[in-house]
Amino acid sequence: MIVQDRNSKLEEYFQLLRSMAFELERAMSAISENSIQALEDSLANQEAFSTRLAELADDLSRPGRQEPLSVRDAADDSLLQRVRAASNELQSLNRRYSALLKFSSRSVAMMVSLFSSYQGQIQEVSGPRLKLQTWSCQI
Amino acid sequence: MPDLIAMGGLNTSLSIGMQALEVSEGALNATSNNIANSNTPGYTREIPEISEYPENVISGAVTGGGVTLNGLRSVRDELLNLQIQQQTSAQSSADTESSALQQVQTYFSSTGNDIASAFSTFSSSLAQLSASPSSGAAQAGVMSNGKNLAQAFNAAANGLTTEQSAMNTQVADTVGQINSLTEQIAQLNGQVHQLTAAGQDGGTVEDQRDELVQQLSQLTGISVTQSNDGEVITTGNGTPLVMGDQSYSLQTTTGSDGMQHVLDSNGTDITSTIQGGTLGGSIQTRDQVIPSYLKQLNTLASQFASAFNAAQAKGFDSNGNAGQNFFSVPANPAGAAAGISVSITDPSQLAISSDGSAGSDGNVANLSAALTNTLPSGQTPSQAYANLVFQVGNDVSNSSSQSTAIGQNILQLTNQQNSVSGVSIDEETTNLIRYQTAYEAAARIVSTIQQLGTVTLDMGSAQSY
Repeated sequence: MIVQDRNSKLEEYFQLLRSMAFELERAMSAISENSIQALEDSLANQEAFSTRLAELADDLSRPGRQEPLSVRDAADDSLLQRVRAASNELQSLNRRYSALLKFSSRSVAMMVSLFSSYQGQIQEVSGPRLKLQTWSCQI
Repeated sequence: MPDLIAMGGLNTSLSIGMQALEVSEGALNATSNNIANSNTPGYTREIPEISEYPENVISGAVTGGGVTLNGLRSVRDELLNLQIQQQTSAQSSADTESSALQQVQTYFSSTGNDIASAFSTFSSSLAQLSASPSSGAAQAGVMSNGKNLAQAFNAAANGLTTEQSAMNTQVADTVGQINSLTEQIAQLNGQVHQLTAAGQDGGTVEDQRDELVQQLSQLTGISVTQSNDGEVITTGNGTPLVMGDQSYSLQTTTGSDGMQHVLDSNGTDITSTIQGGTLGGSIQTRDQVIPSYLKQLNTLASQFASAFNAAQAKGFDSNGNAGQNFFSVPANPAGAAAGISVSITDPSQLAISSDGSAGSDGNVANLSAALTNTLPSGQTPSQAYANLVFQVGNDVSNSSSQSTAIGQNILQLTNQQNSVSGVSIDEETTNLIRYQTAYEAAARIVSTIQQLGTVTLDMGSAQSY
């Protein structure tokens, strides 16, 4: 019974790891496409998933140590392998996501400060041909 | 008199109508040109610059002056351009590093002839010697596997040096490409200057120049500023590359370390200041990353050889002579891994005996312990090597992740740059603040996922063992 319970939790954990990986991919595409709404939607899902993942991780690791060795050994080995593979994949994506957030945050912070400072466009006259410089893509 | 006024009014109306037609035609031309070039790389949208003519005053009556087309103007976003150039340089640098490190990683992967495998078989042969100390085959096995271990060190060190040489060649090649591009950019700068001075539109030439500047940013980190004579391009630390229609060539020379050094047009060595782009990535990999691996490999080879030789010195060989050095390493520690070799010439020279008496095998334990005892670095030989392998793998993974992430950031900036919808500054500011808030939330999730990784690993360990 304990084994069954542990396996079903592991299964849920595995599914959540995959869902989280999907959401990270989705968030990265949203950032690339400047789709703030899609990013916020993905973040809402990520928050829900990460909360549940943390609960399950706590649950699966803490009681495991108190169980007899035979119970722990009885848990589905192939499922555990899949969990570990999904976790590795998620870590790799997370590393990329983290780097993207770092670079993108820098760009966004720079633009926010410029927007706040100028609150508008700057025109630069260069000979007879006007060259319009803006801090955004204003056309 | 009223007829004259009427005639004047009619002429004025006709003139205004003609002007309006010309303006419309100019605007249409601009639009069709934009559409035709919608997929042209580097093309910048042009919009008509229209203004109202001064009013006409005829006999006290004021009439509108019509409209005029001042010209076409390109819509450019210098900040976005700058960011894209910077990120392009960073990505190119990460790509160069990633590609080189992937090659380096092959020297550390498990092939059977790698250092980890060689340590393992050397250890096994010592275990066999311990079981049958008087066996000639067991003694020969130790000597043979010792040679394999030394050769594995040699191969890894040579592989790293080969990759370092490849990076060195790339430095010289890249400098040549940079010089070619800066020369072309300077020529285009001159053309833009001439066109604008003659009152003509230099938009097309500016686009060509922007495209070349973008290519230049792939080769090295640059800073671009505008002056009256055109663009001024410098390296990240301010070394001039292009000023108006004048380009400043970089040069390369072989330094005292045997590596290609980059000099500015005045002959000053600027190698250590170059960052970003293929050039920055090559220099970083050649001068920082690979030397760091080589240093660790040399330390391991040198410390392990010393530890094993010390164990040999504690015993006596089969002829009753004091144990001589088993491994030979060059006097210069910098060449330890490349130069390590087995110095004994016969298996009987293994110092098996602890007291020189026939049948004694008391020193085999000391020889075996050299593989498991901690070295002066604080790690066992296997641990030290495993750490090095982990570091290489981690560096490969980091540089690859960085490159992909920067690529997505560039895509984000490019999408912004290519945006065709009119957006208000206020709306965009609001969106940017939403991004900031979202990124803060995302950072918390990133941290949670990182912690989950460790927990999941522990979960696996609890199951497996």
